[in-house]
Amino acid sequence: MSYKCSRCKRDVTLDEYGGVRCPYCGHRVLLKERGGDVKEVDVN
Amino acid sequence: MSDADFDVQYIERDDRSARVLIRGLTPAFANGIRRAMIADVPTFSIDTVRFVENSSVMFDEMIGLRLGLVPLTTPLDEFEVGDEVTLALDVEGPATAYSGDIETSEPMVEPADDNVPIIELKEGQRIELEADAVLDTGKEHAKHQGGVSVGYRHLQHVTVDGDRGEFDEDETNVLRGVIETEDGDIVPTAAFDHDLSEKYPGKELTVEDVPGAFVFHIETDGSLSVEELLLRAIDTIEERADELHTKVSV
Repeated sequence: MSYKCSRCKRDVTLDEYGGVRCPYCGHRVLLKERGGDVKEVDVN
Repeated sequence: MSDADFDVQYIERDDRSARVLIRGLTPAFANGIRRAMIADVPTFSIDTVRFVENSSVMFDEMIGLRLGLVPLTTPLDEFEVGDEVTLALDVEGPATAYSGDIETSEPMVEPADDNVPIIELKEGQRIELEADAVLDTGKEHAKHQGGVSVGYRHLQHVTVDGDRGEFDEDETNVLRGVIETEDGDIVPTAAFDHDLSEKYPGKELTVEDVPGAFVFHIETDGSLSVEELLLRAIDTIEERADELHTKVSV
């Protein structure tokens, strides 16, 4: 799962033990990035 | 064959809206035509959207719903119900994505208007998608309705009974629709501000429905012309009657 740090804007990968924290700046607010898949939506 | 004596007269006529006087209809038949125009004439509408990128502030589903409501031109001679046409949209901010930015793989099926806003994009936001438009009827989903404001009223016959009493007040007498005067002239009430006392000041009047005469107000979303919508609606009634005829005779 890829996230982006909301303060330093760097890509962050979360691991099991590190907790929710940016390894570069220590900021605790991470934004989830949209995946690269094509998403199909039904309109109704 | 039927002995109905129909008479059709266009009172107002534009590309997308018209007022038509039809004589010789029963109320049930008039309502059947109205309902057929709304629910039984198919039009193209976006049904599935594949989002490649959407960094706008709105969810994919919400943009999908907006796209579904964009009217698409529908040449009914060329397509059948269920046919699909692929469209695409690719806009990068800062800009507003309009229906006119939608590109089509089939030039006969394109947005009827170029100025329907889909989403406003800020710097760095982008939307890229591919969409399938399907031909279907308003019965399946309201986005497929070709007629958007379809209704009818009785034609009103106005008779002048005489002068109003000397001391009677000249009250407003509001009537909306189309009237038939004693001379047989057909006049939309908008011509006298929907107020009969403007057209007949100081007169005592009787207003009655003309039996079997209906004034249809027809407006389309641009996917079809008014005339085509009316003709196709009548065709669908004929098709269903034929189908019933076949079933009954078997």
